[in-house]
Amino acid sequence: MKKVWSILVTLAFLAFSIGASAVMAADGPVKLGFVYIMSGPFATYGQFAKQGAELAIEEINKAGGINGKKIEAFFEDSAGKPDVGIRVIRKLVYENGVDAVIGLDSSGVASAVAPIMKELKTPLIITHAATPDVTGKNCNRYTFRISLNENQNMKMAAAIAADMKAKTWTTIGPDYSFGHQSWEYFEKYLKEKKPEMGFLPVSEVAFAPMKTTDFSAYITKVMNSKADGVLVSLWGGNLIDFVRQASDMGFFDGKREVLLTLGAATEVLYALKDKMPEGIWVGTRYWFAGNDSPENKSFVDAYKAKYDTYPSYNAHGAYAAIKAFAAAASKAKSSDKEKVVDALTGLSITLPVGKVTIRPEDHQAITDGIWGKTAADPAYPIRVLKPVKNFTGAEITPPVAETGCKME
Amino acid sequence: MEGFLINVLNGLSWGMLLFLISMGLTTVFGVMGVLNFAHGSLFMLGAYISMQLTRWISSFWLGLIFAPIIVAILAIIIERFLLRPVYGRDVSFQLLLTFGVMLFLDDGVRLIWGPAHHLVNPPDVLSGVFPIFDQTYPVYRLFLIAMGPAIGIILWAFFSYSRYGKIIRAAAMDREMAEIIGVRAPILFTAVFAFGAWLAGLGGALAAPHQSVGPAIGEHIIIESFIVVVIGGMGSFPGAFVGALILGLLGSFGATMAPNFQMALPYILLAIVLLTRPRGIFGEES
Repeated sequence: MKKVWSILVTLAFLAFSIGASAVMAADGPVKLGFVYIMSGPFATYGQFAKQGAELAIEEINKAGGINGKKIEAFFEDSAGKPDVGIRVIRKLVYENGVDAVIGLDSSGVASAVAPIMKELKTPLIITHAATPDVTGKNCNRYTFRISLNENQNMKMAAAIAADMKAKTWTTIGPDYSFGHQSWEYFEKYLKEKKPEMGFLPVSEVAFAPMKTTDFSAYITKVMNSKADGVLVSLWGGNLIDFVRQASDMGFFDGKREVLLTLGAATEVLYALKDKMPEGIWVGTRYWFAGNDSPENKSFVDAYKAKYDTYPSYNAHGAYAAIKAFAAAASKAKSSDKEKVVDALTGLSITLPVGKVTIRPEDHQAITDGIWGKTAADPAYPIRVLKPVKNFTGAEITPPVAETGCKME
Repeated sequence: MEGFLINVLNGLSWGMLLFLISMGLTTVFGVMGVLNFAHGSLFMLGAYISMQLTRWISSFWLGLIFAPIIVAILAIIIERFLLRPVYGRDVSFQLLLTFGVMLFLDDGVRLIWGPAHHLVNPPDVLSGVFPIFDQTYPVYRLFLIAMGPAIGIILWAFFSYSRYGKIIRAAAMDREMAEIIGVRAPILFTAVFAFGAWLAGLGGALAAPHQSVGPAIGEHIIIESFIVVVIGGMGSFPGAFVGALILGLLGSFGATMAPNFQMALPYILLAIVLLTRPRGIFGEES
C-alpha cells in the first residue's frame, strides 16, 4: 500500500518538476530555502527554527536587506527522512531557485544530503544535525555547519564525566547513527582523559528505535546494569517520554550520574516544565541565558517579544545561519553561490552564541560551548541552567587532521 | 530476578495498551471487513482530547470517560458519511479512504494543538510508585496492566451473553444470513465502527499519562497493533489478547536480551505465524 503511495507521490512530483522550468532569477530577492522537521514527534524543532528564521529575516529586511535585496524564505519539511530531505532540497534549488539552503535536524538526513550539494552547487548551512561526517569524511566545498557538532559536544560531556564519581558508563540513545556515534566519541574522549574508566560493551547498552514511546524496557536494562554513569543522547519527543518515564521508575534517584547531551533544548524544557528533574547535567548548542553580550540580549529580547517564549538552540541555529549568510553575501557583495561559498569559508562573525569562525579546512564552526545543571528558578517557566560550565571553541574542537576531511 | 519481574511488568503494561487498540482494530475488521488505517489517528485523538479535557476540567477520570465518547461520535460521522458510500465498491476504496482520514486527522491535530508535546498527569491516587525489591515501579503502569483484562472480560461477557453481542457475532460470521433474519446491518456497522473507535480513544486516553501527547503518538503503536491482529487471528478477541501479550513481552525482553534484533523481532514472529498458521494463532482455518 505504502509503496503504491510513494510511487504516486513520486510521479506527481516528477511531473510537477519537469513542468515547472527552473526559475533562476538574476534580479529580485535573495531566496533562502529552509529544511527542518515540521511533522512527527520532532516537529517542535522545526517550529522553533522557523521562528528564529523569520525573526532574522525580518531584522535584515527592515535594515534594507542583503546588498539592497530583500530575503524571501521557502520552508520545507524533511520529516526527518533522508529521501524526503533530498527531494525537498532538489525542489528548493531547481524549482524555487534558492541561493542557499539552511537547516537539517537529523544526522541521517544531513549525511544523505551533504554529497548532493556538490551536484547542486548550492551552499548548505547546517544548523542542528551533528554528525561529524558532513564536516569530516564527507565534507565538501558547499557544505557548512554553523552549530556545534557531535565531537565538540562529546568533548564537553567527557570533560564533565571525568569529574564525576561514576566509574562505569553506559548509554541510552536513539538507534541510528547519531546515538551510536555519540557513544563512540564519548568513550573515546573520556578514555583519553581517564584511561581507567569502564564502559559497557555495545551489546549491553541501550539503543531505542526513534518511534519508541515506551522506554521502560531500556530504562530497566540500564538500571539493572552495573554502570553508575549514563550518557543519554535521546532528543526531542523521545527525550520527553524518556525523562517522564525514567523519573517514575526511580532512574533519577541519585544512585547514578546522568548526562543528557541535548537536555537543554527549550523544546524539551517547555514540554517537561517541572517534570524535568533538578541537578542533572544537560548539554545544548546554545543557551539563551548563556552570555550577556548585546547580540544575545537583543536576540533573546526580540524573540521573547515576538513569540512569548525563550529561543531554543534550534531557533538560534536558523537565526545564526541567516546572519552568517548575510555577512558572507555582503562581504562578497553578491549572492552568487560560488562567491558566497568563498566568503563563508573562514568567515568570522559575532552571533548571540558568541564569536563563531567557520574553519576553512572542514567548514565546521568553531564556537564556545556550554553545559549546565538543571535548576528551578521562579523567574522562568522552565528549568534553567545553574551552574553552567563554559568551554572554549579551541579546547572542544578536534584538529582538522582528526576529522578525516579532505576538501577538494 | 528483579530485572526479570520488572521486564514482565514493562511488557505487560505496553501489551495491555496494545490489546485495547488491537481489539478495536480486530472487531472492525472481523465484523465489517474494513481495515481501518485511521485507527492509530483515533488513538492519537483520544490522547489529545483527554489531555484537553483534563486541562479544562482538571479531572483525569472525566477525561477518560468523555474523550473516548467524543472519538466515537466522530467515528459515527466518518462511518455514516464517508465509509458507507464505498462499502459496495472495491476494497481498495476503503483502504484509500481510511488512509485519507488518517492524513486528515493527523494534520488536523497539528493545526489545533501545534507540534509541541504535552504532559498529562495521572490522578493523585495513581501517581505514586510501588516498591519492588530495591527499586520502585509506577502505580499508573500497574493500573494499565489491570485495565486490560478488566475491559477484556467486560467485552467478552458482552459478546458472549448479551443480545447485542450475539447479533454482532452473528453478523461477523455471516452478514447476509444475519440480514435475512432481520438484523439491520447499516446501524450495526455504524455501532461497530463507533465501538472500535471508542476502544482506540480509550487506549489514547489511558496512554496520555504514560507517555507524552505529541504528533505521531499513534504511529508506533498502530504498526504493532496490525501485527497483533494478524498474529492473533483477524477478528479474534482471545487472539488479540495473546498477540498483544506476546508483542509486549517481546518488546521488553527483546530490548534487554537481543538489542540488535529488537526491531526485527515482531516481524520475524509475524513471518513465522504466517508460514505456520496463516490465519493467526486463534484464526479459524476455512
